Amino acid sequence: MNPGLYLHIPFCSAICPYCDFSVMPAASPARPRFASRLGAEVSLAAPTWRDPRPFDTVYFGGGTPSQLPPEDLERVLDACRTHLAFAAPAPSVFLEANPEDVTPETCAAWRGLGVRTLSLGVQSFSDEALRFLGRRHTGRQARAAVETALAAGFDTVSIDLIFGLRGQTAEDWQLELTTAVSLEPPHLSCYQLTIHPRTRFGVEAKHGRLSELPEDDQATLFELTHRFLADAGWPAYEVSNFARGPLHQSRHNRKYWNHTPYLGLGPSAHSLAAADACSPARRWWNERGTTRWERRVAAGERPIEAQELLGPKELAAEALLLGLRTTAGIDLAGLRARYGVDLLAANEALVARLVDEGHIVVRADAEGGRWLVPTLSGLAIADGLAAAFDLSLRN
Amino acid sequence: MDHIRNFCIIAHIDHGKSTLADRLIQRCGAVEDREFRDQILDSMDLERERGITIKANTVTLPYTARDGRTYELNLIDTPGHVDFSHEVRRSLMSCEGALLVVDASQGVEAQTLANLYLAMEFGLTVVPVINKIDLPSADIDRVMEEIDRDLGLDPFESVQVSAKLGTGIDDLLEAIVAKLPPPKGDPQAPLRALLFDAQYDAYRGAVLLVRFFDGTLKAGTRVRLMHSDAEHKVEEVGNQRLKRVPVPELSAGEVGYVLAGMKSLAGLAIGDTLTEAERPAAEPVPGYREAKPVVFSSIYPMATDDYEDLTKALEKLKLNDAALIYEKDSSAALGFGFRCGFLGLLHLDVVQERLEREYDLSLILSAPSVRYRIVLNDDKEVWIDNPTFYPDPAQIKEAYEPYIKATIMTPERYLGTVMELCRERRGVETTYNYLAAGRMEVVSQLPLAEVLFDFYDRLKSITQGYGSFDYELLDYRLGDMVKVDILVNGEKVDALSQLVHREFARPRALRYCERLAKTIPRQQFKIAIQGAIGGQIIARTTINPFRKDVTAKCYGGDITRKRKLLEKQKEGKKKMKIVGSVEIPQAAFVAVLRTEDEDEE
Repeated sequence: MNPGLYLHIPFCSAICPYCDFSVMPAASPARPRFASRLGAEVSLAAPTWRDPRPFDTVYFGGGTPSQLPPEDLERVLDACRTHLAFAAPAPSVFLEANPEDVTPETCAAWRGLGVRTLSLGVQSFSDEALRFLGRRHTGRQARAAVETALAAGFDTVSIDLIFGLRGQTAEDWQLELTTAVSLEPPHLSCYQLTIHPRTRFGVEAKHGRLSELPEDDQATLFELTHRFLADAGWPAYEVSNFARGPLHQSRHNRKYWNHTPYLGLGPSAHSLAAADACSPARRWWNERGTTRWERRVAAGERPIEAQELLGPKELAAEALLLGLRTTAGIDLAGLRARYGVDLLAANEALVARLVDEGHIVVRADAEGGRWLVPTLSGLAIADGLAAAFDLSLRN
Repeated sequence: MDHIRNFCIIAHIDHGKSTLADRLIQRCGAVEDREFRDQILDSMDLERERGITIKANTVTLPYTARDGRTYELNLIDTPGHVDFSHEVRRSLMSCEGALLVVDASQGVEAQTLANLYLAMEFGLTVVPVINKIDLPSADIDRVMEEIDRDLGLDPFESVQVSAKLGTGIDDLLEAIVAKLPPPKGDPQAPLRALLFDAQYDAYRGAVLLVRFFDGTLKAGTRVRLMHSDAEHKVEEVGNQRLKRVPVPELSAGEVGYVLAGMKSLAGLAIGDTLTEAERPAAEPVPGYREAKPVVFSSIYPMATDDYEDLTKALEKLKLNDAALIYEKDSSAALGFGFRCGFLGLLHLDVVQERLEREYDLSLILSAPSVRYRIVLNDDKEVWIDNPTFYPDPAQIKEAYEPYIKATIMTPERYLGTVMELCRERRGVETTYNYLAAGRMEVVSQLPLAEVLFDFYDRLKSITQGYGSFDYELLDYRLGDMVKVDILVNGEKVDALSQLVHREFARPRALRYCERLAKTIPRQQFKIAIQGAIGGQIIARTTINPFRKDVTAKCYGGDITRKRKLLEKQKEGKKKMKIVGSVEIPQAAFVAVLRTEDEDEE
């Protein structure tokens, strides 16, 4: 696969109480000058990006990229086009947007920029849940935004939903899913509410006023999500991602999961460069805070906070934990060829047991390759599974 | 000999023995005030911290009395705990008198009485000392009444002091001189000196503390230890001040130290008699008894790499703890360790704490066990203190377990619950006496094994801290023991096997299972934890597998974090023991094997 380009736009009209991304209020004076700063980073980063293959996906993530005016987004894309290699005729552009920013006009403008996938931060169709989540739109607005987006001619419209809210029952959640599929978006992301320490929910949790659902309830909702959406025609391809057919699966996000290189620009963005003749694979990430990021870019510096080198051991561990999160599973021959890990041989008893318990299956593909594939119950415990495997390298 | 007084201080824990000793030492000027350190006699940090005396120390104090004469007061410190009663006996034997300390607010306790009986057994003259008279809760009249009624001593002979403030110390010193008898003995007779304590000095090796009954000893003399039958040449004799002060000779009636070029305390038996090799005494000092370990436990290093360190630490500890015995042991679950024998539970505690504190080791101790006498079908007799070596039940004709006589003092209102506790613990011939208004003494014959398992904690808890407990070993009696094994996914965890009375097998097994279930992290599979006697399952718990264990999001920024977490988990797993394909963290063993009983509350 060709490399992907990620552009982080940190601005949000308000900060959601569960969010632990690099975000900043849209009222910040940093916003009007953000596009030129990001353009500057593009020109700083481009000379060091050695992968010759053109970018075929460009992902505007955030934050809320729809909080940046389309003209600003265009400036950023222009800078990218000038300094980086873009696939012909054009890369596929992804944009995250909040429902309140979606109108026929903005949709048209985004389409004009080359946006092919619009990902909507709906989170819920229930006003009560939306209030709990600190969102600024209503259920009715959410539905309207989805309809507007669907009518605007994007290849893929995706809806983000959050489940596992306090007091949420299986019936409540099924109702949300029913509403979502009734709108027929080609793609859905359903994330279980995660309480992060440095968020408002995190503080509430610390004081015992809020918690994630008990594990059994989480498991019930997780299984319900996967079964319901599979039955409705949106099978999962990852722990939290569902698509109406392979063409609507996120081509950009899959790059994160299979070690395809990506260049990330903007505050907190991560990048991955593949190993080449003179260097092992490398991951680096930008300053998380917009202010620090901006200061360094303004000073003509690359705003990199840190980097790590990834040897076969690290890459194998990542391939394992990422692969177990996808319904495609782990390409066993690929793992052996690339990192020297014979996963089946090193974990014979474990694999037999996991197969026996119904958490994984070992499947052959048409080319005679073998894949370790998590089942639904396996996906639900993918983190634990990854920890259970022995990753002894051959040498 | 008229100017010598050999005495000890006996008291219940916390009644202020060490503070009183400090005050006497200070008053006699054996130490400068500025050098003074509270509780000087308790030289181990651990002793000072816990406020108990583990190893007896002894000091010679010069005292000029009101009659103008200078006396040599030999204060022989006695260990304050029942585990060390063997050493207490040797110390008492070296004295003519005893100060019996009673707390002015707590009054007479079980140990006070036990100590008094001991002192009387050795024919000591006892002076009661009422301490802590400065406390607001002090009730001197009541305590005097208790001294009269419970101890049968003349309360008007008692001296009232506050060791803390120094009040009454002069009167006490005068009472020591006036009321305690001087020693007797013949300096010309063949040497008979009782070894009542020994210390280890890094430079000089063993320091023998002895009481001279007959004869005279100088450096250069060859002495023989009558019981262990070893000969040594004396290098130095002297008085044990706070430092050792050499003197030309020591003779009958005196107390002092002897250095004889012995590298360690190994092979030294407290209670042995020193005599001259050339001119031996006909009989040793009577009353010698070998110190026998009664409590056994296996000690493993938490990290298997620390085995070498544990080996070295035990070797060093043994140098100044002759009562500690150990031999190599190994467990499939916990690796290499040592099977150790202790004088009692406190001794075990002290050894564990010293190993952890002084040698910086993290340890796992197996459940303490007593030593059982097993008669096999062929009438052969074996002694078993380690569940690993418990014979096949089909081979056992009879099994015997040690019993103790427990003396418990309690306020009357807890009598019922204390009697119930004794009954629960298979106590027999449990009787009680009124000591004074509101105070009872309960005497019960209990299997020692039942006392090892949180008995003292339970007693403290049911009497809200007022109960006190003392014991002595009685005899071996027929018992009905079974070996309880703990299985994880069907595989035996050898370090958790234990010998239990049949009646308690099920609850004990269940408790182990439950504690394990709480401490073994959940895994991808169901984990069955079972307790079994032979092939019969008597208790069972299950750890349910994870149903949901995956984070929702995993994009660019999450991958490194997730991989690092994974690496950390894998690192942690290396420290786990794998039994029945289940990873058991060391912490689980610690939690299961701890003796206290918090999950029952």
